[in-house]
Amino acid sequence: MTKRLSRRDFLKIAAGATAATGSAPAVRRIVLEPFARSGPLEDVLPGQAVWYASTCRQCAAGCGIVVRVINGRAKKIEGNPLHPLNRGKLCARGQAGLQVLYNPDRLKNAVRQTGGRGSRQFEPLAWDDALETLAQKVSSLSNPDRLAFFGGLMPDHLYRLTARLLEALGARPPVIFDLHSALEGRAAAAQLSQSFFGVPQLPVYDLARSEVILSFGANFLETWMSPVAQSYAYGALRQGQFGGRGFLVQFEPRLSATAASADEWIPIRPGAEGFVALGIGRVIVEERLGHVGSHRPHAVLYQNVDVREMAAASEVPVETLRRLARIFADADQAVAIPGGYLAGQRNGRASMLAVQALNLLVAQIGRVGGVFLSHPGLTAALRQTPPMDSFDRVLDLIARMKAGEIDLLLIHGANPVFELPAAAGFAEAIARVPFVVSFSPFVDETAVRSDLILPDHTYLESWGYQVPAPGTDRPVVSSQQPVVRPLYDTRATADVLLALAARLGEKAAVALRWPDEVAMLQEIASDLHGSSLGAYDAETLAGFWMLWRRYGGWWSEKEIPREPEATEIVEQPLPVVGPEFEGEPGTYPFYFYPYPSVALADGRGSNLPWLQELPDPMTTARWGTWVELNPETARSLGVGDNDVVRVVSPYGELEAPVVVYPGIRPDVVAIPVGQGHRDYGRFAQAASGSNPLALVAPVTDPETGALAWGATRVRLEATGRKQPLARLESLDGAGRETLG
Amino acid sequence: MAQDVKPSAEAAPRWALVVDLDRCTGCQACVVACHAENNVPVAGEKQAIYGRWMHWIIIHRYWEGEYPNVKARFMPVMCQQCTEAPCEPVCPVFATYHNPEGLNAQIYNRCIGTRFCGNACPYKVRTFNWFQPEFPEPLTEQLNPDVTVRSRGIMEKCTFCIQRIRRAEIEARAEGREVADGEIQPACVQTCPPGALIFGDLNDPDSRASQLARSHRSFRLLEELGTAPAVIYLKGGEANV
Repeated sequence: MTKRLSRRDFLKIAAGATAATGSAPAVRRIVLEPFARSGPLEDVLPGQAVWYASTCRQCAAGCGIVVRVINGRAKKIEGNPLHPLNRGKLCARGQAGLQVLYNPDRLKNAVRQTGGRGSRQFEPLAWDDALETLAQKVSSLSNPDRLAFFGGLMPDHLYRLTARLLEALGARPPVIFDLHSALEGRAAAAQLSQSFFGVPQLPVYDLARSEVILSFGANFLETWMSPVAQSYAYGALRQGQFGGRGFLVQFEPRLSATAASADEWIPIRPGAEGFVALGIGRVIVEERLGHVGSHRPHAVLYQNVDVREMAAASEVPVETLRRLARIFADADQAVAIPGGYLAGQRNGRASMLAVQALNLLVAQIGRVGGVFLSHPGLTAALRQTPPMDSFDRVLDLIARMKAGEIDLLLIHGANPVFELPAAAGFAEAIARVPFVVSFSPFVDETAVRSDLILPDHTYLESWGYQVPAPGTDRPVVSSQQPVVRPLYDTRATADVLLALAARLGEKAAVALRWPDEVAMLQEIASDLHGSSLGAYDAETLAGFWMLWRRYGGWWSEKEIPREPEATEIVEQPLPVVGPEFEGEPGTYPFYFYPYPSVALADGRGSNLPWLQELPDPMTTARWGTWVELNPETARSLGVGDNDVVRVVSPYGELEAPVVVYPGIRPDVVAIPVGQGHRDYGRFAQAASGSNPLALVAPVTDPETGALAWGATRVRLEATGRKQPLARLESLDGAGRETLG
Repeated sequence: MAQDVKPSAEAAPRWALVVDLDRCTGCQACVVACHAENNVPVAGEKQAIYGRWMHWIIIHRYWEGEYPNVKARFMPVMCQQCTEAPCEPVCPVFATYHNPEGLNAQIYNRCIGTRFCGNACPYKVRTFNWFQPEFPEPLTEQLNPDVTVRSRGIMEKCTFCIQRIRRAEIEARAEGREVADGEIQPACVQTCPPGALIFGDLNDPDSRASQLARSHRSFRLLEELGTAPAVIYLKGGEANV
């Protein structure tokens, strides 16, 4: 089916546009000419749709998209059917990308905050003046160390530029951190790969061809890593070509939508995931389960493990551990996944190690249905993917900001004031920085605390490329091109940095020698020209550049598997480390579980009305924030649905209505993240709701430095108030109001 | 119902949507895809709290059992495009009618907003525009020019993306060929990441939708009402044989 559609769509997927070269450097060189394309002119008539291929930037997965454009206006985003990662599919957030582009609350030009930071009084600023101010601020720094760059979700080329610029200036590398990545444990997963396979690359779990999957806190059908590719694989797992049906077990304190799709949900004690993995491993070794001899060399891993202790610590009965061990070891293809919730605990690394070791134990590393690494192939040179930093680097930056050691702070693609635990003190620290520049297209909580906002284009107006991480079964690069002309007088941050470097001269100008970002991208893409592996090739570089835009990237025609090799770290006994939580159990009896919202992710989707109105799959709630309580917990507290409770942690508190949730442990309180914006546009601000990061302790797993976002305890207080939540489902059985 | 108007009953397709509940993960991608394709407005928080929504496709979630042996099941529900549609005979102005391809079409400019059709629908998939939909500038740019924007007082519902059906048919005709199976994809089907939605012609016994409709897992929603829906559900939890 894909093949047939591919051909048609290929014809319709148009390349970017002809180049209208500007004379000055750093003038945005290429804008779309909807009617002057590389194809024959008579192809395009007013009112007829053309499709442009690009890359989705709603999360870090890097799915390929095609955008239907009519009369120069983007009308619909769909998955790129040729792209080997998402194969024509797209998630809810990807579909909502049009509302980023056409958001009524976008900044239309560069601005200066005239009434001082936080005043929200903006005055338009000419780009030349903005660049002059920026250049002057950089060159007047007494020491390059006093410059800091805070990045979030950045396209690869922009990260490359930023890192080069900072290096040339003698400043420290950018700090890259965003909440979404922290919630999925991206930094910790890369570190796990580094110690396990010797490369910091995120592994690919071959879900489609697996028979048994043990998922430890990986909500891989919702927001974790590459949800579209994983959901596609899940479809194949469920209804295999030859009638097979895989078995999925989800270990999680709360029944997520992924757990709802699982065959078995095991409500595990928070932080005890590693114990379960160790227990299962020990049983496999003790009972010599699975393929003969496969586990013998690994018996040493489990020499410190006692199955009964593990069962007691995790509250998963020994019989369950034995049963799952047999199912797991007896399967021909089986895989265990260490998910984001593990990384969010103070024993995160130990737990993740224990889970990954299960794959080693049953010899599923590099096997069909097991764990792979994505083969870099020719894309190796392009892989300067922004390495996600662990939270301790962020804490270090905050400390330096507070100590007055930072004079100039640049922020791109992240909203740390909203995304970091409030107790980490970023909001206080940013006030100590004399000059702050934000590149956000929206006035978010961090931009409001900046002196200048130099809005970047939104992603449908932008150039770029991204090597998807985790990748897929072959080398892939997703390329990004503007599908419409920039709507406003915004400017690509890459071009701003290039212009800045040119003004600064010296080393910076040498390091950033490209006239504009397109020239840089052309140079990078030309690395792939002439390969026989590619899905396409061209005789000339110009032809290759056109196809690179038409296809929306470059990938290998065929699958190229890459088998990771386990390093010697896995020949030592696995550590048995228990979780630690902030807050006395006596005062704070509940574990706090903030989880990423399917619709809003970490909150960056909350300015889009389609996503605000999107029902949460499990609670069917829209727009607000809610507190999920087990029916028993709710009863003992004397509250029910829509009763407002106060959730108090040692670090903060919030109030929100209760959702009585049958799929959560009685000792766990779950709240979705994403709401509680004070800025970020009318839709984000209109929604009722609070930011649960106010409660989270700013603590880390000492081994990885990752934010331990699941390591806080809370208590609950009934307020006696009621606040109706916008739920799709009818609570009283009386039906709905839509027609009445 | 109005079947006699078919120009040639043999040649006309019978469009059907197969929903494989074993694949559905409740991810809501279909819901946003539908909003984008069909210019479906949002109700806003105030109306949403009141219990209103404008989605043409919603994913029901059913709880089974109690903690810790609790399960949740997802079921996407959209207009079932019934063969014997209860919404059709009640419309006093023939705004809702049966088209030759078996679809329950809604003619917006005939609709006078009696909401009789919505009351008659046992699946509760019709939504009513109580207010003029708002698209603050420049959100109007997102609107699909192939689809009307409905105004206040109009009933609307899933059309199986009839504009996409027509687009594929017109393209096929221009190229002098038949529409191939799988070529027509409503927006929800196109985006569905796990491939839980399959669209096709039931009158073609070889179409993938037809094949799946014959599966032992297939059932129709509220079958006992005799509405003969064109949406076919496949039961979850077991493999296809």
